[in-house]
Amino acid sequence: MFELLGHGLLTVLQWNYLVPLFAGTLIGVIGGALPGVTITMTIIVILPFTYGLDPLQGLAAMTGVYVGGSAGGLVTACLLGIPGTPSAIATTFDGFPMARGGAPGRAIWLGVWSSFFGGLLGGLFLILVTGPLAAIALQFGPWEYFSLFVLAMAMVAGLAESSFIKGLLSTAIGLLITVIGTDPIGSVPRFTFGSEFISGGFPFLPVLIGIFAFAQIMSDIEKTRAPKTPEAVLAAQPSLGVSLGVSHLKVIGEILGRPFLLLWSTVVGILIGVLPAIGGSAANMLAYDQAKKFSRHPERFGTGIPEGIIASESSNNANVGGSLVTIMAFGIPGDAVTAVMLGAMTIHGIQSGPLFVSQQPALAYGIYAAYILAHLLMVLILAAGALFMLQITRVRLAVLAPIVLVLCVIGAYALNNTMQSVYVLLIFGVFGYALVKGGFPLAPLILGLILGDQIEINLIRAIMTDDNPLLFFTRPISGALLFCAALSVALAVWQHLRHQARTAREEAPDF
Amino acid sequence: MRLGRDSLAGLIFLAVSLALLVQSFGLPQLPLVPVGPGFYPRIVLIFMAVTSAALIVQDLVAPRAEPADVPVPAQPQRAYGLVALAFVIVALYLVLLPLLGYRIATVLFVAALQATLERPTTWRQWAVLAAIAIGTSAVTYLVFERYLTVLLPRGSWTNW
Repeated sequence: MFELLGHGLLTVLQWNYLVPLFAGTLIGVIGGALPGVTITMTIIVILPFTYGLDPLQGLAAMTGVYVGGSAGGLVTACLLGIPGTPSAIATTFDGFPMARGGAPGRAIWLGVWSSFFGGLLGGLFLILVTGPLAAIALQFGPWEYFSLFVLAMAMVAGLAESSFIKGLLSTAIGLLITVIGTDPIGSVPRFTFGSEFISGGFPFLPVLIGIFAFAQIMSDIEKTRAPKTPEAVLAAQPSLGVSLGVSHLKVIGEILGRPFLLLWSTVVGILIGVLPAIGGSAANMLAYDQAKKFSRHPERFGTGIPEGIIASESSNNANVGGSLVTIMAFGIPGDAVTAVMLGAMTIHGIQSGPLFVSQQPALAYGIYAAYILAHLLMVLILAAGALFMLQITRVRLAVLAPIVLVLCVIGAYALNNTMQSVYVLLIFGVFGYALVKGGFPLAPLILGLILGDQIEINLIRAIMTDDNPLLFFTRPISGALLFCAALSVALAVWQHLRHQARTAREEAPDF
Repeated sequence: MRLGRDSLAGLIFLAVSLALLVQSFGLPQLPLVPVGPGFYPRIVLIFMAVTSAALIVQDLVAPRAEPADVPVPAQPQRAYGLVALAFVIVALYLVLLPLLGYRIATVLFVAALQATLERPTTWRQWAVLAAIAIGTSAVTYLVFERYLTVLLPRGSWTNW
């Protein structure tokens, strides 16, 4: 294992891999720092650049974006009080008060070094656990795969913030998109209405780009006429005379002097990452909440204490490691970012899943190496240009939006050099925006879209092997996975009902 | 009874799922496969129909907010017209791409969307807008076509 990792590190240290990794990390940090630009959008923007690269170059660039983006959000969170990405929301709670209190350097570097240590611990988990998990997954038959995918979707739908039913419906829409086109067993056209345009189904990446990037950009455009709050106007005028000088040894000592906090936040980040389709946005909030609950002085959270920054930033980078485990061991994306990476892998003819690590060791260990090196590069980039990131946040949407949309169009067109993918992009851009406006969560839809084909293939394969449907329940692993899926749904329903009852109690007139 | 936004969405998805469910029964059977190509889609469509119906029911039974005595804080202004216009500009770009080619269509698209989102008022601003439009087209063309060997659309009218 360590020999392969060493080989991976030596490979990625070559210029032709180091340059895309550095560029990816830099773009990730910038994208992360830009409020309104998510890591998903950043990775979609660099997607077309990876088409012309070899698989490891492309994946190294994407890993860099993922790592850089998870850390980049802390700059704006600490210095402007505006989280650059949803992964840095909790960082603002203590980072901004600490910076306002006269210690911006301490706030930034507590965040950077926490990201670094959290990320490395997440990387350790990634390297040690992916292989054994993939070995377990190799024992799976079609029944277990089917049940695993059902569990993944049940969990994601259950965790939908807006509404559990909307989460389920969103999953169903994702699954429906995958059944349009030819069926995977007999190549019979389904729901194509005789149209050539959809006879091959909807290509995954243009749908993903349309739903995520277009919907996000249009949501940003929608807010352009909103009057800015006085705080936002003040925050948008950062003082570039501010000094971020700090004793790094002292800051590192502050972080490592709280080993339980660092480890627990990292564990929270990894676990949220391992769960399918939930990103760093949930990880940082949950880790912050946990840190507050375990603290002897919870009342100090939100006033600018280091614990809040350490919890948030270590968890969101550890989350990256956890997400990569899920995609590399099971072929299930840990979040929307890894969904794009999964799509990029398929473009290069690489099938992610349990066989990935054993069949593509050079690529797998190359990704591990890129992940580790990206953390070092992230520290260097932020050391060199944290204040420069503030200048970049001044780029106006009127400039940013057309450029992002052009890159989205290239990303769709270059898939197969046809305009069809570009039209799909527009159709799903409109559809994605409508779903966002309707309050539908997009993560379950994307997971349904990614897993739809695999669910069908494994379902049919299971039935063709043995037509006894009870096997889904009586095979131990499959049964346990379906039980967990039912439990997840039941838990979500219970939480929903409890929330409704609590809301009704609060709204009841107090006589 | 007034239909809420969720009920309307639920009705649309319910209608789509039921219409496709009917169509799924017309799909041919395959001799060697125990279940036909319509088997799995039917499961998905029934799931979709049930969740759509549940969404409608949830919306209908949810208590509607009574008009409050206290004034409701004003919602932030949303530029829906601008969003619609942006979609139209993107659609026009996609129409022009295969006709004018990537380089010309991209210059026009970037310039048009920029001007729509933030109208320049001085000659200097117009010059910056034009420079960004031409620069975006030129840089992306060079990077993708020359460096990454990713082909971009050629125009049937311009052959460029």
